Amino acid sequence: MCLVTFTVLVTIHMEILNQFGISPILLAAQVVNFFILLFILKKLLYNPILKVLETRKKKIEESLKNAQEIELKLQATEEQSEKIIEKTLKQSQQILDETKEASSQMLDDAKNTAAEIITKANEQAIELKKAEYMKLEQEVKENAASLVSLVFEKVIGKRITSEDQKALIEKEVKNLS
Amino acid sequence: MEHAIVLKPEILGFYNINVAGFALKNLPITNTLLVSWLAMIILIIISLVATWKLKAVPSKLQNFFEMIIEFGYQTVEDLSGSKKAKVFFPIVMTFFLFILTANWMGLLPGFGTLTLSQKPLLRSINSDLNMTLALALVSAALTHIFAIKYLGLGNYLKRWFSLQLFPVFLFVGFLEIISEITKVISLSFRLFGNIFAGEVVLSTVSSIFAFVVPLPFYFLEIIVGFVQAAVFMMLTLVFMVILSEKHAAEEH
Repeated sequence: MCLVTFTVLVTIHMEILNQFGISPILLAAQVVNFFILLFILKKLLYNPILKVLETRKKKIEESLKNAQEIELKLQATEEQSEKIIEKTLKQSQQILDETKEASSQMLDDAKNTAAEIITKANEQAIELKKAEYMKLEQEVKENAASLVSLVFEKVIGKRITSEDQKALIEKEVKNLS
Repeated sequence: MEHAIVLKPEILGFYNINVAGFALKNLPITNTLLVSWLAMIILIIISLVATWKLKAVPSKLQNFFEMIIEFGYQTVEDLSGSKKAKVFFPIVMTFFLFILTANWMGLLPGFGTLTLSQKPLLRSINSDLNMTLALALVSAALTHIFAIKYLGLGNYLKRWFSLQLFPVFLFVGFLEIISEITKVISLSFRLFGNIFAGEVVLSTVSSIFAFVVPLPFYFLEIIVGFVQAAVFMMLTLVFMVILSEKHAAEEH
């Protein structure tokens, strides 16, 4: 019973396969075709292209890593340059301060010396004036003496000599006593 | 059209081979077998040209193939993991490329119209059940071979024959065996049905009015050809991944 149904099923199956023109040789031929194609495409197409893709991926990864490193380096150099700039700014500020101080000191010194010079000059000028004044006084005195003697000469008509003077003085002294 | 499309492929001639004492007499050469050789040659020539001078900066054709292969590899890798992807990828990709080339070649002028001793010389490969059944058998056979390779024979057999003599498990194992047979049938008949139906539609529409009217159907067939290739590829991939992973019942 079971065997009969099986044979019936198989014959129906064979009939269907026959209708579709199935033949084992054609199936085998197509299977062989497929494996030949698989082998050739693997050698010619998949392996080379996958290799290229792999190397490209590696290269991109590497270059990305490099770029990152470069960026880090750049950052470091930027920081360094900032530091340097800061340092130089500080130094220049210091130098400026120092020069300011020095210049103000120098200015002070100059002022002081100038004041000293001025006072000295003033003193000198005063001394000079005094000396001149004294000289003038002396001259005036001398001139006055000669003027007096001249007036006397004119009044007395006689030139007063030193003997006269003495005599006069003695006379006066006698008068006094 | 003069020739009504029949289910059987037309046999153009017979060929005798005799290789090292192994004789094959009356090897039938059908028009589909001829076209499948043509498709192979075209694929090989294109891949030769694409990879003739591989450059770091790719040319247009190389770039195109790189795109396809990278996408395919990514898909396989996502589903199966990088270890199995290296084994699965070439097979799955070859299915895709071969079926796509075959389907689109069948739309070229000359197919079904050129005749040799009153038989059509060229016929779309997948409108012959021999070809699709062969591909489905290869897909199924490779799936089982990989399952044994990755699971070991013991684990592989556990899927079908449960050691627990509990009727439910026995029945599940039986169903699994049936599903393996249906896989082959569904893979082969899906591809065959789609392409054969497309051929019939195109010839019918062309026989009604041959100018402009068949154009939308040609566009439809271009899409169908691509979709069927992708479906065959994806199903093969999924079957391979499922069968080469441990059976879910075992993990309990």
